[in-house]
Amino acid sequence: MSKQPTEVFMPPNMLKAKVGGTIQGLDMAAIQRAEAAMETLKEEFTDWIAADIARLGMAYDGFAANRNKSTADDLFRASHDLKGQAATFEYPFIARVASSLCKLIDELKSHEALPATLLEAHVNAIRVIFRDNIKSTSNFTALTLVEELEARVREALERAAHTL
Amino acid sequence: MSGYRFDRLKILVVDDNQHMRKLVVTILQAFGAIQIFEAPNGERAWAQLREINPDVVLLDWQMDGMSGVEFAHLVRTSPQSPNPFLPIIMLTGHTHVDHVRQARDAGVNEFLAKPVSVKAVFTRLVSVIEHPRPFVRTKTYFGPCRRRRGSDEYRGPERRNLCEPTALDDEPTHQNKLAERTP
Repeated sequence: MSKQPTEVFMPPNMLKAKVGGTIQGLDMAAIQRAEAAMETLKEEFTDWIAADIARLGMAYDGFAANRNKSTADDLFRASHDLKGQAATFEYPFIARVASSLCKLIDELKSHEALPATLLEAHVNAIRVIFRDNIKSTSNFTALTLVEELEARVREALERAAHTL
Repeated sequence: MSGYRFDRLKILVVDDNQHMRKLVVTILQAFGAIQIFEAPNGERAWAQLREINPDVVLLDWQMDGMSGVEFAHLVRTSPQSPNPFLPIIMLTGHTHVDHVRQARDAGVNEFLAKPVSVKAVFTRLVSVIEHPRPFVRTKTYFGPCRRRRGSDEYRGPERRNLCEPTALDDEPTHQNKLAERTP
């Protein structure tokens, strides 16, 4: 094995110098203030997720009308945002469906191979979960829908792997 | 009051989703931060680095144009970077181990998987303040040490002693701070 020159050093801790003080574990007062601030945002969450879902719909329409890498990337970004945010906005099933959609787009790699019906099923599922205001993870119908979509994605990825 | 003066920190929040930016900014304000700057993409954030010289960056991965990983790489390695040591906390919906590895290899200090929680944001901030990682420069990497914290179970010879430390070419102010350990 060839030796590789390596340098390890500790830059000055400018952050510590600026903020001062010390915190052992969590600062519960700061945490509680932030959680209270999040509560005040909650009334905006519905509008926010509606906007994100509308963006997903537009990205899907754009991809359906013109399949290329750019429109596929737009669709991935819109679904990825929902994957990351929907649970915060109190729609955990939307996050899960969006995660399944991301997995399909990301792992299938080729935008030409993306199955249109399965993409549309994901987008429609997200719309329905939002329309019916399903926020509980114990909703059996939504759970069945999500599990079905996840299974179809697994199948699509397995099929694609076998055709390589 | 928090034990930290977060009001003294300049924090740059980079995310192309305005809702996520508002959420993160709200959390930071509740912690006491007041100097919070926002950028809707990597290109704007790169320009803002020079304008505001932030103390810490909270960075989304998936953005139109320059991605968070590309931004982090630029901060660490570009000759134009105003602060290659800038603490970077990456917030992302990517959760696969390969993504964590990519972020780490780009020079990200801390990784925070969405959905964002108040405690997770606070914990990552505390981490970059109280437990900064040493920096490493090799032929192929410059950034925070990529070893997992607490990975002291390795009992072999000190691997970094196998290599001769070299002087930094472009950071002379730090070249003598070799191998100082975190507490």
